[in-house]
Amino acid sequence: MAYAGPRDLLEVDLTARTARRTPLPDAVFADALGGVGLAVLLLEQRVHGPIDPLGPDNPIVFAAGPFASTPVPAANKHALAAISPLTGLLNEGLSSSHFSAVLRRCGLAAIVVTGVADAWTTLVVDGEAIRFEDAQPLVGLSAREATKALRERYGDRSLRVCAIGVAGERGVRFASVENDGRQAGRGGTGAVFGAKRLKAVALRGRGEVGVADAAATASLAATLRERALGPKTAKYRILGTGANMRVLQRMGQLPTRNFTAAQFAGTDAVTPERARESHDTYVELRAGCAGCPVQCEHLYVRKDRDRRRAAASEYESTWAFGPNCGVDDLDAVLDAIGRCDELGLDTISTGSAIAFAMECAEHGLLPRDAFGPALAFGNGAVLLPAIDAIAQRRGVGDLLARGVRAAAAAIGGDAAAFAMHAKGLELPGYEPRALPTYALGLATCTRGACHNRSATYDRDLRDPSTDPDPQARAADAIAAEDRAVAWDSLVLCKFVRDCFVDFEAEAAALWSAVAGLPLDGAALRAAAQRTWERKRAINARLGWTPDDDRLPERLLTEPIADGPLAGRRLEPERLARMQDAYERLRAAAGTAAPVA
Amino acid sequence: MTVELFGMARSLAGVAHVELALEGPVALPQFVHALAEAVPALVPDVIAPARDAFVEPNLLLLDGRRAPRAGETFDAGDRPCVLFLASGG
Repeated sequence: MAYAGPRDLLEVDLTARTARRTPLPDAVFADALGGVGLAVLLLEQRVHGPIDPLGPDNPIVFAAGPFASTPVPAANKHALAAISPLTGLLNEGLSSSHFSAVLRRCGLAAIVVTGVADAWTTLVVDGEAIRFEDAQPLVGLSAREATKALRERYGDRSLRVCAIGVAGERGVRFASVENDGRQAGRGGTGAVFGAKRLKAVALRGRGEVGVADAAATASLAATLRERALGPKTAKYRILGTGANMRVLQRMGQLPTRNFTAAQFAGTDAVTPERARESHDTYVELRAGCAGCPVQCEHLYVRKDRDRRRAAASEYESTWAFGPNCGVDDLDAVLDAIGRCDELGLDTISTGSAIAFAMECAEHGLLPRDAFGPALAFGNGAVLLPAIDAIAQRRGVGDLLARGVRAAAAAIGGDAAAFAMHAKGLELPGYEPRALPTYALGLATCTRGACHNRSATYDRDLRDPSTDPDPQARAADAIAAEDRAVAWDSLVLCKFVRDCFVDFEAEAAALWSAVAGLPLDGAALRAAAQRTWERKRAINARLGWTPDDDRLPERLLTEPIADGPLAGRRLEPERLARMQDAYERLRAAAGTAAPVA
Repeated sequence: MTVELFGMARSLAGVAHVELALEGPVALPQFVHALAEAVPALVPDVIAPARDAFVEPNLLLLDGRRAPRAGETFDAGDRPCVLFLASGG
């Protein structure tokens, strides 16, 4: 049986204003599955050595999830990959909702965009037709405004658009790409769009998306949907990830004021749960991706304000502007998140850049009046001016727009000690000194400091040994990495991770029913391992070596300063032992067999 | 025994702490059963319908620091916390 899903690859050259559409062979899908697996395969075929992430040769790859536009729930997602201007390495993000589904309804498995347009451009994929349209009237607009304008121009509210905001246009190295109110946030793919003068990609497609075995797909999808409406996802439906904040505070591992502390006195004031509990003050709005029963997004806005200004309250975003900046003003935090979405900025990197600047100012390395209100931990009034300056690349904002690694190098002095990143990507809101397996995964992650490519903290929570068995922790980290690749290739939302009894067997059966090609649990594992190997191979071509798998010095030299875990260290020797074990296990696993 | 509740458990119970009438050391299944009796709203989203285990990833951490080992008993002095961490998407 042949691959049943949309199989075309659309290759677009913005310099030449050409587009070529070719079908991908079955072997590609058998090898890479879809999503991140497919995006990484297509990048591996195009990245042969160091390239300028903001130059014409950096390919932007959209790769549809193999379950998008099918009955499978929590799966209308796509991968968005490019070489990151923040890390100089591979960056594969995910986004979701209608855009992902329509990508497949256009008959496409993937789009690869190279070159640089000579003027701001919207790439329009209208079924089989491809157009390069003048995007100058959209410049300066947010992604949401650009989407609205394009829909008005086409008189079609079903037009699906992904676009960048001002930050991407200006080349902020952690600019995001947005579609349907969802963001591929991390790693700066928005700046790659900007460098190509690609303001937006608009899709219109109404083709049928076939599945190989409709009855089996419907049955498996119904089971998954039923589970996704049950207790396994209640935490996301009812609370969202914002509930992490009180938990991490209680555990003594809430990164605070740029990781100088692990306890934040203002936690209860700034946790999204407070907004939920304050019915008299805040309105809660719910949102979610197309075709997803979980509807995980919880947005809040004060009752006396315009509901269109409601801001998403994911843990990472509220942490980045709350505890990490020492700000205990929930309104300031929600406004900061909303402004980032409006300007097209990754909230984690933006909050981290501001926290870094606050610490630099504390040590006299940056002026305290750089953004007007005092650039100091705890001052919520400085968040919006700082965010605006970053997006517009004004003054110190221009410095921060390069990311904390590059900003620290430009500032000099002790600034590097305050730059909390791995391989250039700013750290998310978990405390590696308290979570050794997570720390290992953070160091080895091919993307830099991403919490979603090796979320191994569960093992650490259950066994928070300060002297971990390196072999066991390394095996856990590898299993978590490969599992994440499988999720991201399929592309299933990780919020349904607990809805599978035997993930590999069930997910493989689901893919096989949809795609029409054989796959079992072992083959799924092998596909994930192959993609991980490709990720590392791409990074190696870009200049990465294992010596780059480092964590910030602060985490290795300073113990946790306060709270119940005060004194807890991440000993460099222990991390090194785990990394050695990791490399030995990866080497011993050999190379996953290629698909014939 | 005072139990600290976080996340879903707190939301469903409507309180941050709950008192269990447990004397002396208890093992996890006994603790979970007592908690389900005290706060029936925790079943089935936090506590499984059999009332002998948490629905993953909800878990019990002693003093918010470590999960009890298999068969280990604990008491009020261990400051049990019911919580979970969530990320992804």
